[in-house]
Amino acid sequence: MRRAIISSLALASLLLIGAAAAHAFDMQETPSLRARVAQGKLPRVAERAPEHPLIVDLAADGKRIGRPGGTLRILMAADKDTRLMVAYGYARLVVFNEKLQLVPDILESFDVEGDRVFTFHLREGMRWSDGEPLTSEDFRYYWEDVANNKQLSPYGLTRALLVEGEPPRVEYPDLYTVRYSWTKPNPHFLPLLAGATPLEIFMPGHYLKQFHAQYADADKLQKLAKAAKQRNWAALHAFKGHSYRNSNPELPSLEPWVLTTPPPAERLVFVRNPFYYRFDAQGHQLPYIDTVTMDIVDSKLIPLKTETGEADLQARYLRFDDYTFLRRGEKQHDYAVRLWRSGTGSQVALYPNLNVKDPVWRKLVRDVRFRRALSLAVNRHEINKVVYFGLGLEGNDTVLPESPLFKEEYKKRWATFDLKAANALLDEMGLTKRDDRNTRLLPDGRAMEIVVETSGSSTEQTDVLQLIRDTWAELGVRLFIKPSQLEIFRMRIFAGETVMAISSGLDDGIPVAEISPAELAPTEEDQLQWPKWGDYYETHGKTGEAVDLPEASELLALNKEWETAASHEERTRIWQRMLEINADQQFTIGIVAAVPQPVVVSNHLENVAEKGIYCWDPGAHFGIYKPDTFWFDNAPAETAAVKAAAP
Amino acid sequence: MLGYIAQRLLIMIPTLLAISIIVFVIIQAPPGDYLSSYVAELQSQGESVDPQKIAFLRAQYGLDRPLFEQYFVWLTGMLQGDFGYSFEYNLPVTKVVGDRLWLTFIVSFTTILFVWVVSFPIGVYSATHQYSIGDYGLTFLGFIGLATPNFLLALVLLYVANSWFGVSVGGLMAEEYLDQPWSLAKVLSVFAHLWIPVIVIGAAGTAGMIRRLRANLLDELQKQYVVTGRAKGLPAGRLLIKYPLRMALNPFVSDIGNLLPHVVSGATITSIVLSLPTTGPMLLQALRSQDMYLAGSFLMFLATLTVFGVLLSDLLLALLDPRIRLHGGTTR
Repeated sequence: MRRAIISSLALASLLLIGAAAAHAFDMQETPSLRARVAQGKLPRVAERAPEHPLIVDLAADGKRIGRPGGTLRILMAADKDTRLMVAYGYARLVVFNEKLQLVPDILESFDVEGDRVFTFHLREGMRWSDGEPLTSEDFRYYWEDVANNKQLSPYGLTRALLVEGEPPRVEYPDLYTVRYSWTKPNPHFLPLLAGATPLEIFMPGHYLKQFHAQYADADKLQKLAKAAKQRNWAALHAFKGHSYRNSNPELPSLEPWVLTTPPPAERLVFVRNPFYYRFDAQGHQLPYIDTVTMDIVDSKLIPLKTETGEADLQARYLRFDDYTFLRRGEKQHDYAVRLWRSGTGSQVALYPNLNVKDPVWRKLVRDVRFRRALSLAVNRHEINKVVYFGLGLEGNDTVLPESPLFKEEYKKRWATFDLKAANALLDEMGLTKRDDRNTRLLPDGRAMEIVVETSGSSTEQTDVLQLIRDTWAELGVRLFIKPSQLEIFRMRIFAGETVMAISSGLDDGIPVAEISPAELAPTEEDQLQWPKWGDYYETHGKTGEAVDLPEASELLALNKEWETAASHEERTRIWQRMLEINADQQFTIGIVAAVPQPVVVSNHLENVAEKGIYCWDPGAHFGIYKPDTFWFDNAPAETAAVKAAAP
Repeated sequence: MLGYIAQRLLIMIPTLLAISIIVFVIIQAPPGDYLSSYVAELQSQGESVDPQKIAFLRAQYGLDRPLFEQYFVWLTGMLQGDFGYSFEYNLPVTKVVGDRLWLTFIVSFTTILFVWVVSFPIGVYSATHQYSIGDYGLTFLGFIGLATPNFLLALVLLYVANSWFGVSVGGLMAEEYLDQPWSLAKVLSVFAHLWIPVIVIGAAGTAGMIRRLRANLLDELQKQYVVTGRAKGLPAGRLLIKYPLRMALNPFVSDIGNLLPHVVSGATITSIVLSLPTTGPMLLQALRSQDMYLAGSFLMFLATLTVFGVLLSDLLLALLDPRIRLHGGTTR
């Protein structure tokens, strides 16, 4: 089914290219580049573009053809945020489109056989931002000279490339074809390539070879490493070739905008990649916008600076509680605040720690009746009204209605405010003794006082917790809030010292059946409800604890089953069973989801979605909305071009 | 004199060594290291991290070695002028600090100048016109400056500057000059932004300085030599400047020792609120993310400046005031 979608899409895009060619697809030179072309410093646009460029169907996304030119201003909080331009640019081998289907992007097309053999067809004549061709040699360089090099990858292949410990077979039949094959299915492969933090399987070999011991002169390399204060050539290579971190202006890239300022700087400037592979139907090379400037300011000042109109497109570091403040500056500074929906499963969720050390608490927390009672005693409606102006979606930590896997019951089961039922559940557990403050007693006589730990830098989580505290009090459970620094917060949970934590819910709230459901099963230490089980899975049993709860074991088994599932129907069935278990078991207690994310957009910036989903993966925040198609209606395109061409 | 300086310089060696150990141990005291806080930060935003890559980086950064070994690598590096590597910025420490140091100098020197220019005449006036309306009024203003938290004053001025004068929020220059070479317009833009941090950082210092000068001067004004001078018919202004004021200058000079590190570190909290590109916010961020070589080397730099500053102010005091002796009274 999925292959059918993909192949029909590939066919459609081929047809599109055919149609464009038939209509004498005329490439137009970008005004800001004309001067350099005229001086002979840059080849003509037709020579820069691949033979079959990607033609973006703007109309299909409800967008308009734009005008090139202009500068987009964004604000970030640290130099290392340059990596977010890799998310916003979202140039990937394959990408998710707005409907969350996987489509070829840098690749002209791809074939998949039984999720085991992946054949990638590159675009002929496609170039890196320095003008060098992108070929299968770049894939070979990564695979043979980096991933399988003892010095560069001393800890072996990245886990994402292994299927049950087995590495892929990588072949390069010709300059423009690459094939990865495993003996068992690897359904993670394509979604990972399309991720916001992409799985890296190719590198600009022509540039990086000068830092590789196999190609470069050892003495010279030693000197280079020393000059850059790196320990050895391997560290130098990693430093120069870190494409996701995006901090090396020399590193060739495929992104729409490439970094030109060496960090650290207060203002980082990204300029258009003249060899970019996406075009609009009128033959404009994308991106429309010439330059992106990223100003580095303290994260707490970002809402303030945004309000004074110093950003043209801003969502990062803005929170829902900034909304009213941001609205105030709209008229004066000529921008609009749009409300996108956050894509996490729940804005805030409680994580009962099933691996807590304290034996009495562990027994309680592992009793499903206890978790259900706590969930029933949360007045989600009140929290939504008080903290989120009623704009959120009340219910469990599960997928959002935008996901095809959504079912109303996942959201609602055990999530309606019912103190009577909650009290009955606790009574049924035999927790009937109370102290003089009417707080229930634990079986060993201690008062039932839950310390919920939070790492939130804002007051949002504590506001929510204070409301929960009032209703839990009527359940005979006392709640205390303990804020701590993020790292200590996590360490205490991993060590089992925390009974309960509050954090955001599922990272991916809008999955399709083809996305791995691993987040729903104990597969990572990072999962706050069962860190030790996740650790056990991650390290293949070296550390952590084995799962000893039947429902969690079933989730693990289902996750494994998904990896070898052959059909879309089967995957959907597995997903739905896992969602059902999670809702029924209340492993995490979701509160309110789909809380709006303010997105500040300049009134002159066109093609930005009015309503969107602000999600990291899949979505890459703005990435799937293709910022390279955004344009300024006041871009001084033609005049600038005339000026540039004049001398 | 020379022997005294040599002795002081020798004592600095164990002092700085002790400071370096304390700095290193305290930075390393919280659990985890730079990479674990880096991973925690990324994962809290939903980003995935490849454990193999983290393991590779940990080995490359030497974070897998025992603590004392890391310390000695750092120490021997510093002695050779290599201040280590900032993990956060992925650059040698000297490169990270470099640009920021200059802007910090500018802000701090202007602030010190502001403090002196304002507090000197006010201090003299308050002392000579003790308990007058002017004294009360100026003292009141000074105490308001001392009592208002810097960050609050910074926020208020930020708002005023933006809504009344249209100065962009935070930073040291208008955003259009950020990546431009230095020009007259850029310098003017810096001045348009500079007054906020100068007033905010200076406000507290001004009050302290006024009070100290006033108290010292009041002590001197009661003394007999002043009465004698006045009786002999010296004009009031000349008398004041020539004798008691000179005596009252000591706090200004002994302050130099504290000024030196202050000039380099800037006022951290104010700088963060105002988003100044100075060294203060960088140091705080480095401490929070356990970017230990950046934080450690910078703190060592500050410690060295303090130690030298104290020596310098001691020497200057001895020059200024013959009553102060370098060696203790034990020899007599």
